[in-house]
Amino acid sequence: METHDDLRAEVLSFIRRGLDAPPGEGVFERLALAVFEYQLSSNAPYRRFCDRRKMSPGSVAHWGDIPAVPTAAFKEAALVCGDPSAAEIVFRTSGTSQGRERRGSHYISDLALYGAAALPNFRAHLLPDGTPMKMLVLGPTLDMAPDSSLTWMLDRVCRAFGTKDSAHFLGEDGLRFDAIISELGESESAERPIMILGTAAAFAHLLDELDERDRRFQLPIGSRVMETGGFKGAGREIPRDKFYARLTQRLGLSELYCVAEYGMTEMCSQFYDNVLYERARGHNPALRYKVVPPWVRTQVVDAESLEPLPSGEAGLLRHFDLANLHSVMVIQTDDLGIASSEGFEILGRASGAELRGCSIAMDQWLTAQR
Amino acid sequence: MLYCDGSMADGPALSGYWLPDLPGLDLEVYERPLGPGHVPLRLPMLTPRALRQILTALKANRAEFLARRSLLEIVAAIDAAARRLTTPGDAYYDELVTVLPQLTGYSVRMIEIGLERMGAAWKAEALHGSLEGEFGTVDVLDDFQPREPRGFQRAFGAPLTTHIFSGNIPGVSVASLIRALCVKSAAFGKTAAGEPYFAVCFARALAAEDPELASCLAVTYWPGGSEDLEAVAFSEAGVVIAYGADETVSGIASRVPPSVRFIGYRNRLGAALVSRGSLKRADVPSLARNAALDVVTFDQQGCVSPHTIYVETGGETEPLDFARELGVALGELAVEIPRGTMAPGESALIHQLRAQAEMRGATVLASEGGTEWTVILEDRVEFEPSPLNRVIQVQPVGDLSEAVTALESIGRHLQTVAIAVAADEVSALAARLGAIGATRLVAVGEAAWPAPHWHHDGRFQFLDLVHFVDLDTD
Repeated sequence: METHDDLRAEVLSFIRRGLDAPPGEGVFERLALAVFEYQLSSNAPYRRFCDRRKMSPGSVAHWGDIPAVPTAAFKEAALVCGDPSAAEIVFRTSGTSQGRERRGSHYISDLALYGAAALPNFRAHLLPDGTPMKMLVLGPTLDMAPDSSLTWMLDRVCRAFGTKDSAHFLGEDGLRFDAIISELGESESAERPIMILGTAAAFAHLLDELDERDRRFQLPIGSRVMETGGFKGAGREIPRDKFYARLTQRLGLSELYCVAEYGMTEMCSQFYDNVLYERARGHNPALRYKVVPPWVRTQVVDAESLEPLPSGEAGLLRHFDLANLHSVMVIQTDDLGIASSEGFEILGRASGAELRGCSIAMDQWLTAQR
Repeated sequence: MLYCDGSMADGPALSGYWLPDLPGLDLEVYERPLGPGHVPLRLPMLTPRALRQILTALKANRAEFLARRSLLEIVAAIDAAARRLTTPGDAYYDELVTVLPQLTGYSVRMIEIGLERMGAAWKAEALHGSLEGEFGTVDVLDDFQPREPRGFQRAFGAPLTTHIFSGNIPGVSVASLIRALCVKSAAFGKTAAGEPYFAVCFARALAAEDPELASCLAVTYWPGGSEDLEAVAFSEAGVVIAYGADETVSGIASRVPPSVRFIGYRNRLGAALVSRGSLKRADVPSLARNAALDVVTFDQQGCVSPHTIYVETGGETEPLDFARELGVALGELAVEIPRGTMAPGESALIHQLRAQAEMRGATVLASEGGTEWTVILEDRVEFEPSPLNRVIQVQPVGDLSEAVTALESIGRHLQTVAIAVAADEVSALAARLGAIGATRLVAVGEAAWPAPHWHHDGRFQFLDLVHFVDLDTD
């Protein structure tokens, strides 16, 4: 067996081929199996998880057979290779919507690898034209939210690709609307494109405020939006098409410049909409979908049996992420999606299913206990 | 007679309402898929004005056909209708066994068992017993009766009782309508999307047996949040009964006029307690099967369903072996009484929770290849609600008093506690459980099937629906 350093070097060079590299099936297969072996030997809770399922390198012939860990497991165990206390940082799930429920923890012992996967992926999908831009982040600074993976990533992104006057616009009392609106006006009048980044909930608040003030902007061509996550905290769900219609109407952007990011605390790699990426290559994207980077594989599995589904059938998303080298490579989400030959589409969160009556299930109970 | 051959997708849509004949009332009818099975139902397009006409007619019919009837006659008619709904071979029964599984997602076997067990409570003898239990003598519903120490009294039901149903357990709606009829109140039922059909079928069966009585009933569906229709249904009624989640019931309560009596059945939780004395090796297989039946019945969707079983250590069988037996029984019952259909989110939640429990160090015993059943044995004493659909937690306790303490934390939501303890331990345990808020204590295995005369959430079934009139003219 190769050393961990060798394996890390190989994974890193596979990732560094970039977003345009061919999938490299053979290499991915070999690396995935090697990562599985490494994680079995060094990640104690994962090893016990696999032992109980009688899964070992001997019984796994294909990357698709590697046991997947449901995201909820990250709430209970330090799923990391080696000593958890040696982690460089621990990212935690927000856990704000479920009262006393525990937060998931992703122990990161290799931030360099994290960045090596995150930054080129972001650049390919948000800045395919390659120019640094002024970035307005509708979220906290790293000081305010040091254990948020999204905040960490946006911090890195701003430092790598943002101009010096990029800034965060979340204060103690919420979004600093006056400052944001003044930035929007300045971008419009100076004809200097900007990128606005934040959660869908933050954008919903901003749109409400612009409605309230009856403000409308025509941001210069090239301006763009990266939005992520659900509408947690916004008090309501907004259908995606309505959301984009409002964004384009209030900010004067084309929908092709609105890019949704899909990421999770438990994963080092992220997924982005194809729209801007394809446009930069001269295509006019007919469908919006999430692009799977060459170092990641995404399966859609049946929610009941957890068996892979044929392309085109809706099920739960399961991700195989080589960048999760030092934690758990295969993550079973409770996100509903549909695979396509190009990538996948997200249909929403499967959990928190509607309940049928007077019994009370966990979600409601936890909410009630707050 | 209703058309139903099991091929509903091709045949005409089922009728999802029962309204009294009203000359001049011409309602537009639309089709809408309802229930987890998305079965199309024909439904009337109601306006507040039309609803007021309907409810006024119900009250007039009640004055003419119900208020002056003897209770015995009323109970006999209900009995006859209930028999048609619950006797295999009868067209109404066969229809329910065809339609309800498609509509609700519950398995056919589950529906069959539900009809048999619930139907028993709607027979004349059971109804009569329940009424006598609450009123002392049922004659008090027919006429003034002497009362101690002097004077007379008589019980009157409201001219109209409005019911807002929840969709989790088929048949609860029918029980609710029957209670209103028994106190000579006309009954209007607003069904839930999850189970919009059983109450309609009951009204039709009653019409076949006793059209006059059925003319005092109306049942229909409208989408939740139709506050203009609700306002009419509430203000025309003397009593409003609502079933559902805490939030739903609170919302309804806030919209019921203060002069109208409101009865809410909210979220409830159940548990089971097993003493070391009841864990004799020879008894454990049947005990485990009974516990499994409580879990399996209606897939834990009921307010009576257990979420956690507390098992005393130190008996002939330790909690781990009890949990294993429970798993065996759940596995057998997965075949005998298949679980209902699952939404992706329901399955996903179980997979996530299994992994979470496993990572916490719990012993997870579970069906392979799916989520049919799950037993989570964990060495901690803390009540935790189940994600439902046959997920049961087993928590070892050194003494059942630890379990009582754990349950105290959910007192406001506690309802049924199934117990397996020695006969001489029952009364002390019952006193403690009653004091912390439990309203129903039963043998393990009977949790799912309340007795006909039970105090639902600790309240009266019939007494809550009437007002008494005192006659003191001496």
